[in-house]
Amino acid sequence: MSDPAHIEQRLLAFLRQGIFSEDIVVTEETDLLANGFDSLNLVALLQYIEKEFGVWLPESEINETTLKDIRHLAALIAQLLHDRPPSP
Amino acid sequence: MELKSKCRLTHIRVAGPFRSLLAGFNRSLTRLTFQPLNIDLVKQICFSPSNEISDCMNLTELLDNMACCLPQKSALIEDDAIVSYEALRKQTVEYAAQLERLNLQSGQRVGLRLPNSIQYVALTFALWRINAVVVPIPMEFKEEEVSTIAASMHLAAIISREPGKAGVPILAGCYLTWSGKPVTSRHDGQNELNIAFIRFTSGTTNIRKGVVLRHETIRERILAANKTLCVSSADIVMWNLPMSHHFLVTIVLYLSMGATIVLARHVLAGPFLEAVRRWNGTMLYTSPFHYGLLARDNSSRRMDSVRLAVSTTCPLPREVAASFHARHGLHLTQALGIIELGLVCVNHDPAGRWDSVGRPQPDYAVQIRNPDPEGFGEVVFAGPGFFDAYDDPWTLRSELMPDDWFATGDIGRLDDQGYLFLAGRKSAVINLAGRKVFPDEIEAVLNRHPAILESRVFGLAHVRLGQTIAAEVVARASVDPESLRDYCRVHLSPEKVPGSIQQVACIEKTAVTGKIRRSPPSYE
Repeated sequence: MSDPAHIEQRLLAFLRQGIFSEDIVVTEETDLLANGFDSLNLVALLQYIEKEFGVWLPESEINETTLKDIRHLAALIAQLLHDRPPSP
Repeated sequence: MELKSKCRLTHIRVAGPFRSLLAGFNRSLTRLTFQPLNIDLVKQICFSPSNEISDCMNLTELLDNMACCLPQKSALIEDDAIVSYEALRKQTVEYAAQLERLNLQSGQRVGLRLPNSIQYVALTFALWRINAVVVPIPMEFKEEEVSTIAASMHLAAIISREPGKAGVPILAGCYLTWSGKPVTSRHDGQNELNIAFIRFTSGTTNIRKGVVLRHETIRERILAANKTLCVSSADIVMWNLPMSHHFLVTIVLYLSMGATIVLARHVLAGPFLEAVRRWNGTMLYTSPFHYGLLARDNSSRRMDSVRLAVSTTCPLPREVAASFHARHGLHLTQALGIIELGLVCVNHDPAGRWDSVGRPQPDYAVQIRNPDPEGFGEVVFAGPGFFDAYDDPWTLRSELMPDDWFATGDIGRLDDQGYLFLAGRKSAVINLAGRKVFPDEIEAVLNRHPAILESRVFGLAHVRLGQTIAAEVVARASVDPESLRDYCRVHLSPEKVPGSIQQVACIEKTAVTGKIRRSPPSYE
């Protein structure tokens, strides 16, 4: 669940299918913001992450570094999952 | 001295005080510092009943007037491109000529599906210049949703970035596609209305329809709104909301008053704050979602130049109001804008009543209808600049509001000082991070899935986004929710895909009408 490579693949699938048009080649290193990622896309992505991984990205972490590309985003999600207290 | 205008207002006599005002105008592109215009004087010149624009006007006159008064003043800034009022006016004239050459005609409805840009603003005014009707189409809409709007709004053409199969290039990266149905009017008397703009809304009935606004109506609501917003040529507005959802009592108002608009397309706090610093932004007008991001910025960037930060589109959560004030030292001012009405309320006491949308603006009146013992009832407004008609089905305002009061569908109460507090909505429209989502639209997609018999879509309270979307479905057999979500992703824009889909045995209906019973959304 918290394997960054696994998270990357799921994020890739979501962004390719749900966010970016087919003419944009999305990889783990694609600059999301430079490819027209807008506020509505951000809302959709935050909802997806919350549903799929059970974490909400803290607003303080929604920045240029985190959203630079899928690799950085997946690393943050993995960290959040790792730091999450175990379920009782 | 007389200055000749290019539009219906043929002459402006520049009086002594105005000459001195123009002479006192100081412009510096690098520092962007402006001496404010005397707005009363501008109104007198631009909106006086004694000039020729009062009875039948075109919104381009507002731009032309500013281009005449302040030709070199910066109107729009997009990245490093700065367009002056005169350059913007010229651009709209050139675009209008180009649209006319394509045989686009007065009264025809044209869908505009472009991202925020100078081009978007110039094309809107160009369409108005040839008396076409602008119908904004959100960028996030998928092809199917665009087709629905095109058909129900009887669009003659759509201008977009998509060349498609038959798109005619009109500008760099911009194409016009004819719908094949060049309908000018379907309704008696429609052409006489001088329609400028039609936008989708749920109205008060949860059914999507077009809100029809005349040029004169838009001018009225702009004037009413600016009585308290006090936008002037000294203002530099930092803009990041989609123009397809917000344009009239915002972009058109700012341009009417000579303000400079910075298209701050940045979704993230850091670049946005950097843009505020770079351009000395004085005014923010955006959603609680964006203010939440700005509140959590942990850099040292400040917003000392900002005089007014208006929060709109959905209720402001307490946590966002408090954290924004703690981080930036600014109180967020809630405002209530309704597409049928305009900007009817602005809160002038954000420090004392952070959770109020304020008192009605000076030209508006508010009442609470059928209040309960605690004073909560349906909020109704009366005032100028209200919508002119609904389209599809075509219904004039006079038929819908025989007593001149508009029932908003909002539930609220007034305090003893007349401040309005909203508590929720009667209708089932879902407010997702400030964006309206219509349950019927998502239900229609779900119901088309071969495994689904019927569905119910509703909003679930969400601490960050206001609401998220959930669905219940009745299926012919067991169905995988994820496959339904995949199906929705194909037919709907991504934010409309329900976060949760639950299979149920039956959908609860109302006893009287047999319609789907919708859980009332709860505001934070």
